[in-house]
Amino acid sequence: MDDMDMDIPLPEELEFLESNSHFAEQEQEEEDHHYYFPDLDPAAEFLESNSQQSPSPQDLAVPSAEPEFNGHKRSRPPSPEEKRAKVRVAVEEDFAVADEDWPRYSPPPAPPEQAMEEMMFEKEKTLSRFASEIDGECMPITAPSGNRVYAKLNRFQGEERVTKLDYNGYSAELSSEPVNVILERLEQEAFAKALEASSEGQSVLDIPEAQTVHERLWVDKYAPKSFTELLSDEQTNREVLLWLKQWDSIVFGSEIRSTSDDVLSSLKRHSSIVHNQKPLNSKFPRMNGGPKWSNGRRYINARSMDESGSSKSIQDVWNAKSRNIGPPEQKILLLCGSPGLGKTTLAHVAARHCGYHVVEVNASDDRSTASIEAKILDVVQMNSVLSDSRPKCLVVDEIDGALGDGKGAVEVLLKMISSERKPDAGKQSFGKGQQERKSSKKGSKAASLSRPVICICNDLYAPALRPLRQVAKVHIFVQPTVSRVVNRLTYICNKEGMKASAIALTALAEYTECDIRSCLNTLQFLSKKNEALNVFDIGSQVVGQKDTSKNVLDVWKEIFHKRRTKKTERKSHRGKSFEFDSLYSLVSNRGDSNLILDGIHENVLQLNYHDPVMQKTVKCFDNLGVYDLMHQYIMHTQQMPLYVYLPLVAITVHHIVSQVQKPNIEWPKSHQRYRTMMMEKMDILNTWHHKIPPYIARNLSASSFVEDLISPLLHILSPPTVRPVAFQLLSDKEQNDLAQLVSTMVSYTITYKTLKSDILPQTQRCEVADGLALSLVPPISDFINFKDYTSNHYVLSVAMKQVLVHEVEKHKILQVGNDKAGAFTNGGHEVIETGTNNIPLANTSHATAVDLKINENQANVLSWQLNANPTTVSPNLDSNKISRAADCGKLLNMGNMKKPSRSSSSFFDRFKKVNAKGLQSNDRSPQEEATLEKDRYPLLFKFNEGFTNAVKRPVRIREFLS
Amino acid sequence: MLWVDKYRPKTLDQVMVHTDIAHNLKKLVTEQDSPHLLFYGPSGSGKKTLIMALLRQMFGPGAEKVKVENRTWKIDAGSRSLDLELTTLSSANHIEMSPSDAGFQDRYIVQEVIKEMAKNRPIDTKGKKGFKVLVLNDVDKLSREAQHSLRRTMEKYSAYCRLILCCNSSSRVTEAIRSRCLNVRINAPSEEQIVQVLEFIGKKEGLQLPPGFAARIAEKSNRNLRRAILSFETCRVLQYPFTNKQAIPPMDWEEYISEIASDIMKEQSPKRLFQVRGKLYELLINCIPPEIILKRLLYELLRKLDAELKHEVCHWAAYYEYRMRLGQKAIFHIEAFVAKFMSIYKSFLIATFG
Repeated sequence: MDDMDMDIPLPEELEFLESNSHFAEQEQEEEDHHYYFPDLDPAAEFLESNSQQSPSPQDLAVPSAEPEFNGHKRSRPPSPEEKRAKVRVAVEEDFAVADEDWPRYSPPPAPPEQAMEEMMFEKEKTLSRFASEIDGECMPITAPSGNRVYAKLNRFQGEERVTKLDYNGYSAELSSEPVNVILERLEQEAFAKALEASSEGQSVLDIPEAQTVHERLWVDKYAPKSFTELLSDEQTNREVLLWLKQWDSIVFGSEIRSTSDDVLSSLKRHSSIVHNQKPLNSKFPRMNGGPKWSNGRRYINARSMDESGSSKSIQDVWNAKSRNIGPPEQKILLLCGSPGLGKTTLAHVAARHCGYHVVEVNASDDRSTASIEAKILDVVQMNSVLSDSRPKCLVVDEIDGALGDGKGAVEVLLKMISSERKPDAGKQSFGKGQQERKSSKKGSKAASLSRPVICICNDLYAPALRPLRQVAKVHIFVQPTVSRVVNRLTYICNKEGMKASAIALTALAEYTECDIRSCLNTLQFLSKKNEALNVFDIGSQVVGQKDTSKNVLDVWKEIFHKRRTKKTERKSHRGKSFEFDSLYSLVSNRGDSNLILDGIHENVLQLNYHDPVMQKTVKCFDNLGVYDLMHQYIMHTQQMPLYVYLPLVAITVHHIVSQVQKPNIEWPKSHQRYRTMMMEKMDILNTWHHKIPPYIARNLSASSFVEDLISPLLHILSPPTVRPVAFQLLSDKEQNDLAQLVSTMVSYTITYKTLKSDILPQTQRCEVADGLALSLVPPISDFINFKDYTSNHYVLSVAMKQVLVHEVEKHKILQVGNDKAGAFTNGGHEVIETGTNNIPLANTSHATAVDLKINENQANVLSWQLNANPTTVSPNLDSNKISRAADCGKLLNMGNMKKPSRSSSSFFDRFKKVNAKGLQSNDRSPQEEATLEKDRYPLLFKFNEGFTNAVKRPVRIREFLS
Repeated sequence: MLWVDKYRPKTLDQVMVHTDIAHNLKKLVTEQDSPHLLFYGPSGSGKKTLIMALLRQMFGPGAEKVKVENRTWKIDAGSRSLDLELTTLSSANHIEMSPSDAGFQDRYIVQEVIKEMAKNRPIDTKGKKGFKVLVLNDVDKLSREAQHSLRRTMEKYSAYCRLILCCNSSSRVTEAIRSRCLNVRINAPSEEQIVQVLEFIGKKEGLQLPPGFAARIAEKSNRNLRRAILSFETCRVLQYPFTNKQAIPPMDWEEYISEIASDIMKEQSPKRLFQVRGKLYELLINCIPPEIILKRLLYELLRKLDAELKHEVCHWAAYYEYRMRLGQKAIFHIEAFVAKFMSIYKSFLIATFG
């Protein structure tokens, strides 16, 4: 019968069990307790209950056995009722169901006491949709319909009731059983207990054993042992569990799938905490969970009719879905939150809950890359051959403390994840049942993550975690509400027999910022000292406040945020000093005072403080200045003890500007940005400075560049008077100017270089022809490029820039030529020039084309638009453009696209002087058009790098010969 | 080549501005008994020009043939060894460098590199000049430790090594060093001198200067000769022939600061201060030294200010500049000054206009 129960744990049942589970466990404990204290109650009762549970199912037909069993249970007072008496859960629906069923199952002569108690439950139940409305301990309960309520927990001392009840009749009946049967049962019980102990099952230790084992830390003693006891935020708890559950398909494989799918579906459906049986130790619930199964059964029998339809469909959907889901998307769970919120506890409890064996790696272990890798592989891919054969779940605690060697942990995990990203073949081999895996070796790749890994950290934004943050599923713990913590504390105090007022406990919880661990430690400490806890103890220095290192953003928030203090506190001196202390420790514990002050500086002006004549602002900045001086002094004189005074600056600022409304805080970037940008620019200046020939550079320092030089230099470099015409076309005076300009550029090693054309829209417009933009190199114009500032510097036309580039190149070559024996290069030039001289006719059109363009540039310097010309020219221009385009296309390989056009222009300008200026006139003979065709000849005269006056155009050999 | 470089005096005889100093220096060198020298004065007053002319006077035209050397020095500093990169300009007889480039490690430069250089006696013993010259730029930016280690070097190797130190302000050079040197103060040239120089250049370039034009440039140049010549050339490039009313293009950063000043005058609030901060950062990013920003800002503010407040504002500017020099984060102090000014000005406005 119990077997049957085990095999079909429907979701509803599971839920119900979950809500009831730890009562059952408690009862188990209770029974153990009785067992160990035989003077309380005879073992007979114990044995009796056992005899009813385990051996019978085989003999009895199910339908008949059940009523009888239940009936027996009903009439035997202690087991279900006592359990309820200890922890009364009042759920309306459940009771409705129960009431409905009982007439059927239980014999009419129920003890009147029983009925009365039943009535009492009805009255005392306290239900609410909100946990906050219930004072005292509460637990969430989800009805099958999805309604979720919180029920008050009422704990009774069980012993009294036990003694009240009368077992005599039953014990007499039991003693008639053969001894060997009893012994056998006892053995089984012992075996079950041993297994239970080894599995670290969800045994609840909330039993009054304080007197016997007083040395244990309360923190350990009252650590939540089951999922429902967790104090942490329920949403987080559930999500963690869900995440773990998603591993089921890969870890436990298809055999258990039906179970876990059900669980998953109910998890999904109700998003409630689900108590799952441990799939691997499936024997245990069977052994120790007898009574509770009967409860579940009853419940199911009643409900299954109307539930089955809907649940089945959902189940199907879920099953279909789950067939093809592997492990969860993010393979690592990252839990973060301040200390003492129960992260580690949650990880352990949840993992155990899902049937994993928890392997913890924490800061105390060796965490170098090699050792951690071995360990993780061990955990993730091996199975213990020893007794504990559950799959393992790795919990990497305090991963943010991983520095230096410890980074290994993060690295290894990342490596495994990235290898996992590739299609993993090994997945299937894990998709086997547990039994198979025990025997068969893992066939998967060396490093892939096939077990859940939970990482725990305090500071999510620790630099070491940056890569992990991107791939892991991150859960941030929030503080539990004070009332929740206080409830728990009250409960524990009661258990420990310590008198503590709720006010004191509240104060304690607030003082420790809901750090449960710290609360418990403090309580235990105080319990030794004096019996009653009062507020004074907590407020005084008896209790040390722990060093909480908060996130910097929180620190800033604290500084800018004025707490609304109660009137009484504000009046008293204590409130102020307390605020001072807490703020001081907050800032000093964070340590990074530089960053904190930067943040203050960045954000203080955004606050909404009342400041008609800016006096507060002045005070603020004076304080920042004081900080700066102090910091500099400390750094300079290495008087580190003075560091203690730095946080005071922040506190002063807090007193000046803090506001009640929440500040909007931004991360201080501007100072960092300023530092890096200035470094960059300094770099530019310095390299420029080094490039300038020493006879000029030695007279300048890098700083005088910006102060004195750059603005005038930019003016000088872009004279508005110089026409963008080739050198030879200019008048003597203009030539002088140009030469002067070029020599300036050369002496300061400034030139124009092509940049991507999409940088400036303005140049883009006039650069359609070439697709090039020219900008100064080094980029000195950036130095006057302030935000929201428009300088009135004249911008040279692109054509002019090209002329300049050309001339600068020439100048440089000439300089080199002067220095060395320039015979070679000059000779080269000569050859080409003679070569081109032979084809003047063919070139005339080309020359005119260039001329036209030049004219245009003169007319319309900035916008270089060809259509603005007289119509008669346009056909000619078009053809020229085509030819030029063809030229350019061929020359592209040489990488100096603009040079040919320039060089050709300057070359033909010589012709221009010889010829009349009449060439500019638009008369063009058709034969010239014909010669244009020759421009497209494929033969190309390539000249190497450098500068040439020659025309680069295709020439046929026969043209030389003719 | 810019006029600044083109018309830079090459020899002590050509010097136009500080003729008396040049004369004295020449006498000093020709007597062959040159002490260590410390040149100090504002930028653009001709310190470097004088030093170069002096070197030429000492060593002849060979001093102008310099080569740039970028060398990495390996330095054993106790337990660890450092690599310091230093650019030097050197001719046969002199070496020029700015040790403050090494930042906080300048001490090692002084202790190791300079000592190394000073120790080596020039090989050329045939010549009469038995000593070499070390020119150190920006001595005022040297850390205190470096300056302390410098003074021993100055004494120990004085037999064959002369130091020529160059800095803007002698106040940040320690007493010990100052007492070991012949201090030469190079004043900023007076406006008349600048006009004189500009007219000289104009004549050489064959330009026609309208009367008073050079004076206007000189006035705008803040008694900085380099700037005067540069803006003179700028005017020439922008518009020639000159007209009397021709605008002299301002420095861009100065324009920007005057924009900031007018921003401040227009509105006084934390919000405006935040905007001003952004602009101040812009200036700082573009390598304008914070001291100069503060000075210029004060100048711009004073121009628009009621005479009553000028004294107070000046006082606070000095106060915050002092703190800025002591501290590290210039922006804190400049902003504090702006806030203070806003506060003063606003309360003044409220008091006067209600």
